Amino acid sequence: MSSENPSFTDFNLQQRQKQQQKWEDAMISPPFGGFNQASESGYLLLSNRDNQTKILDHQEDGKSTGTLGTNKVQDWDPRAMLSNLSFLEEKIHHLQDLVHLFVGHKGSGLGGQDQLITQQQQFLITADLTSIIVQLISTTGSLLPSVKHTLSADIPNGELGGLLFPPMAGMNCSPQPQNGGGSKVSDQSSKMDVAGDCGAGQSHFIEEHETKEEEDADEGEYLPPGSYDILQLEKEEILAPHSHFCAICGKGFKRDANLRMHMRGHGDEYKTPAALAKPTKESSSDPVVIKRYSCPFSGCKRNKDHKKFQPLKSLLCVKNHYKRTHCDKSYTCSRCHTKKFSVMADLKTHEKHCGKDNWLCSCGTTFSRKDKLFGHIALFQGHTPAIPVEETRGPAVSSDKMDGKEASNKVGNINFSFGSPAATGSGAKNVMEVNEDADDPSSYFSPLGFDTCNFGGFHEFPRPPFDDSESSFSFLLS
Amino acid sequence: MPTRSTPILSLLTEDLLIRVNEKLVQDSDRKKWRLICKEFHRVDSLARKTLRVLHVEFLLSLLKNYTNLHTLDLSVCPRIEDGTISLLLHHVDHSIWARNLKCLNLSRANGLKFAGLEMLVGACKGLESVDVSYCCGFGDREAAAISGCEGLRELRMDKCLGVGDVGLAKIVVGCGRLERLSLKWCMEISDLGVELLCKKCLELKFLDVSYLKVTNESLRSIASLPKLEDLAMVGCPYVNDVGLQFLEIGCPSLQKIDVARCDCVSSSGLSSLIGGHSGLLHIDAGHCFSEVSPTIVKCIQKLKNLNTIIIDGIRVSDTIFQTISSNCNSLIEIGLSKCEGVTNMGIIKLVSGCVNLKIINLTCCRSIADAAISAIANSCRNLLCLKLESCNMITGKSLEQLGLHCLLLEVLDLTDCCGINDRGLERLYRCSRILCLKLGLCTNISDKGLFYIASSCPELQELDLYRCQNIGDDGLAALSSGCKKLRKLNLSYCVEVTDKGTKSLGYLEELSDLELRGLDKITSVGLTALVTRCKRLIYLDLKHCEKIDDSGFQALAYYSRNLRQLNLSYCAITDMTLCMLMGNMTRLQDVDLVHLTNVTVEGFELVLRACCVRIKKIKLVAALSFLLSSEVQGILHARGCKIRWD
Repeated sequence: MSSENPSFTDFNLQQRQKQQQKWEDAMISPPFGGFNQASESGYLLLSNRDNQTKILDHQEDGKSTGTLGTNKVQDWDPRAMLSNLSFLEEKIHHLQDLVHLFVGHKGSGLGGQDQLITQQQQFLITADLTSIIVQLISTTGSLLPSVKHTLSADIPNGELGGLLFPPMAGMNCSPQPQNGGGSKVSDQSSKMDVAGDCGAGQSHFIEEHETKEEEDADEGEYLPPGSYDILQLEKEEILAPHSHFCAICGKGFKRDANLRMHMRGHGDEYKTPAALAKPTKESSSDPVVIKRYSCPFSGCKRNKDHKKFQPLKSLLCVKNHYKRTHCDKSYTCSRCHTKKFSVMADLKTHEKHCGKDNWLCSCGTTFSRKDKLFGHIALFQGHTPAIPVEETRGPAVSSDKMDGKEASNKVGNINFSFGSPAATGSGAKNVMEVNEDADDPSSYFSPLGFDTCNFGGFHEFPRPPFDDSESSFSFLLS
Repeated sequence: MPTRSTPILSLLTEDLLIRVNEKLVQDSDRKKWRLICKEFHRVDSLARKTLRVLHVEFLLSLLKNYTNLHTLDLSVCPRIEDGTISLLLHHVDHSIWARNLKCLNLSRANGLKFAGLEMLVGACKGLESVDVSYCCGFGDREAAAISGCEGLRELRMDKCLGVGDVGLAKIVVGCGRLERLSLKWCMEISDLGVELLCKKCLELKFLDVSYLKVTNESLRSIASLPKLEDLAMVGCPYVNDVGLQFLEIGCPSLQKIDVARCDCVSSSGLSSLIGGHSGLLHIDAGHCFSEVSPTIVKCIQKLKNLNTIIIDGIRVSDTIFQTISSNCNSLIEIGLSKCEGVTNMGIIKLVSGCVNLKIINLTCCRSIADAAISAIANSCRNLLCLKLESCNMITGKSLEQLGLHCLLLEVLDLTDCCGINDRGLERLYRCSRILCLKLGLCTNISDKGLFYIASSCPELQELDLYRCQNIGDDGLAALSSGCKKLRKLNLSYCVEVTDKGTKSLGYLEELSDLELRGLDKITSVGLTALVTRCKRLIYLDLKHCEKIDDSGFQALAYYSRNLRQLNLSYCAITDMTLCMLMGNMTRLQDVDLVHLTNVTVEGFELVLRACCVRIKKIKLVAALSFLLSSEVQGILHARGCKIRWD
């Protein structure tokens, strides 16, 4: 998801728009902790109203200056500062307008829904306020070079970043009515594909490949209870797509290293070796307290209240464990359309192998290796290996091509519609369509195809003198 | 059905007639029966259980006629295709034949693909035995089609080159009751397939995994088969002693083992296998290891019931003969082909104990002399088959002893035994049961010898006179009057033979295989005289018969409709005649057309188009591969025809 890498030195219009989009994300993101389905739908309801578009319109105005500011901040230009401040002022004004609007609406309230809408409005306002605060801090940071380092290093890691921007997913997932959002989704999906194919081009972005081993590695470890600190993150924190945020533009990153790479674009001061270096741990003189993590899901073995509690080793372990164990498997393999995963990395790992020497059983189960398939067949009565339709011509080829397109589409969908039921539905529909296509070539092999059998082998013989027409055979048959 | 009953039919009821009919063995007798009257014909149709079809164009009417068939053999029927099957099954009335069918031979039916097989299997619900050997184009899909035969007990898939583990898996899951399975030369099958086979088909009694790239792991699985009696694993290069040790403790019912040409098997491996199975009846370990070790000799002592031991190409000593002689008294067959160390003394020791020996193969045991043969003749009175190829020290004395004592002798191979002359053959006069006699390269044999053979061996079916250069027309005349049952005759390079001789061969009505290679005195006259009478010719080799011109080949084209295999290399045939020949011979499947100087490229093009429907194998000059149109080559390839480029 962090695949977007606009180069800040080369600013064209398109990228500027994207940048604006990011501003939108940052600005509207509501920092509510209890983000749940109900609130999301509530938000959707709200977003359909015209006031939402108005907000965006308003932002549009301020944005150009905002991006300008970020561009020039590296020179510590008073003019940039001025524009930043005026942008902030404008934002505050805009927020004021919004509140006004809400006040107006409250007058003509809708009775039962009133309560909910009020809540939503509160969230929206809080979100805007938050983004203003962030902007303020970052502006301050760029003003004071001495503070800058600590800020850039600490804010994304520290509480503030985590607190301010956790539910980004919520923003991304809501199908936004404005055209900017839509184009962005499709744009990113295609970009996503590129990133997956040629990582070399984007080499400075570390690929997100958490392997299963990372979670399972600690199986054998035994730490006596009490010898380590237990940390328990909330569900929302775990599910947040990003944990590191740019203090200047608010862009989120999964990894600190990626953020540091990103920061280079905000000025030369971020390009120093010290700024790019991995933030060092506390001095070795401090006693190292071992940190272990607990899963927030009560009843889980990884939850600290469980009788046989087994702690998780790292933040990554927590994330993967939680998604794998307590979340829906919303990523479906675009090749086989059967395997489902809740962790994107698992899907990618699977897709690497899926389709390559795919050994299929008559029951529909697929295996990456022949011996596994044969083991399965040996175990189950009546199961046989399915013979791949190697002679696929015509329709099958086209379905194959479609598969490819579908794949990229779906990856896009999944990436940017996390948790959205509507998008998942469409994904499932796609799957079905593909299945139909895959079924098609089988009709090619139906015995009906031989109704028009050729009698070529027969009429080659000079005797007996019958030809290949049905009627001439009838005398032999009667 | 018959309205005008003849007196004989009023006496003989239908079931009596059927019983009489069942006593008929020979095809010719059955043919006569059918021709007697309609009722007899009907009874034959009802009673007939086996049908071997020679012409595909009659298949439909034949199957319509014979509805109680148990066995259908299409192995010599050229070009069975999916379309043919569809036609045979399309008319509901005619699929009656399929219902009772138990045994189906589709060997070499390369034109058949999985769709046709699927239809066939679907119609023949009761199939128990299927032979699809040498269908080189068969793959997993065809195997999947065969797997529809749930009741299948026997399956031969030799050289189905495309069938891999997946295909085998289909079969073993679909046909769980398999008892006999041959996977010889199914090169794609690996340990995985064999392992699955051994888990699913526990009824397996016979398994042939010869020439597969299977390892000891397969033997580990095979060892778990409870009912396996016969295991053939010829030429498995990845199997070694460790694998045989698995078999030592497994396969409790094992009776026959064939480990010939398994290069990594040593005598200790084989002895461990033998050690675990004292009830073994049959051992074939030819070309396995270099020398018979004392441990094997020790193990063989326990094999009291051993019937057959074949140790071709292994160095032996007299001790093993001593051991076999004193322990394996029921030995019937011994194979010592190309064994070093076989001495007269050894053989004398062997036959002193094993008096029941019926088949002895001493091919290339060059130190064998008359003493050994005399001992064999004296001890083994029931001898049926004796192979003495390249035993140069054999003389007429041996034949004299055989003629005196071995009156049941059926097969005698004396190829390249220079010591054999006409007088020796005269001594065989009491061996009147001889069916097969091989005298190739016995240059001392003349017409006189053939005269003795003709007078003493009336049952002779196969005679090999390769390069017996003293043979002439008179000998052949004697042969054609004395050995009326001769079917196979090799006269290659008997250069004295002329038209007169070939004309006399025309009186051998049963003749089916005839090799006349390099007879440059034969002309069209002789060939015409031959083919007008020998209607049963199936295989004819005319390579280097350069005097024969178009008129002879035209006669061949007209009369020899049953030819299946033909060699015309280096002949003087021209475009038109070759075209006519190839178009007319409806059963021709394999033809050699190398170095035909009078045939043009256009001629070849036309010829190939004329015969592409049914030809299965063709040999052409390599240069033609560039000259022939790709279209014709494509057609041949698509039809499953194999082109060998010389």
